[in-house]
Amino acid sequence: MSITQKPYHFLIRRVHSLLGLVPIGLFLTFHMILNLSARGGPEMYDKVIGTMRNFPGIIVVELIVIFIPILVHAIYGAWVVYTSQSNVLDYKYARNWFYIIQRISGIYTIIFIITHVYLLRFGEASFAALQHFVSNPYGLIFYALGVLLAIFHFVNGLWAFAITWGIAIGPHSQKVLSYALGIVFVLLSAVGLTDLTAFL
Amino acid sequence: MAQQKVIHFKIRRQDGPDKPSRWEEFDVPYREKLNVISCLMEIQKNPVTSSGKKTTPVVWECNCLEEVCGACTMIINGKAKQACSALIDHLEQPIVLEPLTKFPLVRDLMVDRQIMFDNLKKVHAWIPIDGTYNLGSGPRLAEAKRQWAYELSKCMTCGCCMEACPQVNSRSKFIGPSAISQVRLFNAHPTGEMNKHERLAPLLDEGGIADCGNAQNCVRACPKEIPLTTSLADLNREINKFALDRWLRK
Repeated sequence: MSITQKPYHFLIRRVHSLLGLVPIGLFLTFHMILNLSARGGPEMYDKVIGTMRNFPGIIVVELIVIFIPILVHAIYGAWVVYTSQSNVLDYKYARNWFYIIQRISGIYTIIFIITHVYLLRFGEASFAALQHFVSNPYGLIFYALGVLLAIFHFVNGLWAFAITWGIAIGPHSQKVLSYALGIVFVLLSAVGLTDLTAFL
Repeated sequence: MAQQKVIHFKIRRQDGPDKPSRWEEFDVPYREKLNVISCLMEIQKNPVTSSGKKTTPVVWECNCLEEVCGACTMIINGKAKQACSALIDHLEQPIVLEPLTKFPLVRDLMVDRQIMFDNLKKVHAWIPIDGTYNLGSGPRLAEAKRQWAYELSKCMTCGCCMEACPQVNSRSKFIGPSAISQVRLFNAHPTGEMNKHERLAPLLDEGGIADCGNAQNCVRACPKEIPLTTSLADLNREINKFALDRWLRK
């Protein structure tokens, strides 16, 4: 029986979990920290972007480290969302809320990333372009939510990652981990929102 | 004459799998220390709704009446639990009874939980000891481990964890936490350990352990307080090693 078995299902689920941290989560963290340069004003920000853009072979790096992993994670993630059925109104537990928010934040992040990439990577990537976008209050809310939900999705995903990979096993270690990740969420969100304030 | 104290019930009725469902309300005279089953028996004796309309007796399943068989599992005030251990004095009224939603409905509060038993077969949740000759006595199980394993063996396949799990639904093939926890139980047994791979391999399939979404409702819904989420995480560690090892040896 175990000879004819094709455990692709298990493999894709594990790949999906791994991609969330490496490279996507690490890229997100790097992206948030690098964008602090926007606090240094338009010139500094545009210079950093210019350096990144003119980096030789940047498109290959972007494809392998960013686009393809996010695409795979997003497409499979959409399937994961489809196969779930929330019951948070009957079972109002914190973890059950996190479960549904993880799925909502995933979908929101897909929409946000498409807009974000279309606007800034393939559009006019400049300080002024983003400044214009967030000068609209709806644009600002859309962006702030995008930053917060993407970070939530990553940090809460790390918690599930620790269980999926058999790192945090017992309820106590899982609880300690969730508090530790709560701190990570606050810190990363502070960085992300600080980035955004530079464009106001 | 003082008005008699009554227990108010709201029950979801359905005459068959393809029939429409409806709500019916019942008033049962209050007595001390009743449970949901004894009230359903009262309704059975006199199937008349609160508005005085004669109706058919409510269909439900029960067996042991001491919360060890799982047959009377139903949704009571929104949460899956056993009707036998659901004490009226502890419940908010009206007491709302509904059938489990994750299993095919038979009638009223009765569902067919066959899928749970099929899942136990799928993961080989037993220890094969039959042979063509006397296999002799097996290895000893340490007392501390026996006590620990006893907690996992309390599973009565009632379906509370399946009902509470957002990953168990018509669009997903997830076999649910209970069958997966049984893999941990039988793999921990010194004789069962000899067939460990036969229980781990099915968990790699679609509907296996990778379909867990970590909502962790199961561990809170379990009436036997089985550490289901610990079983899942522990088996995640086991199965990652198992899958990698098997692949590398190919």
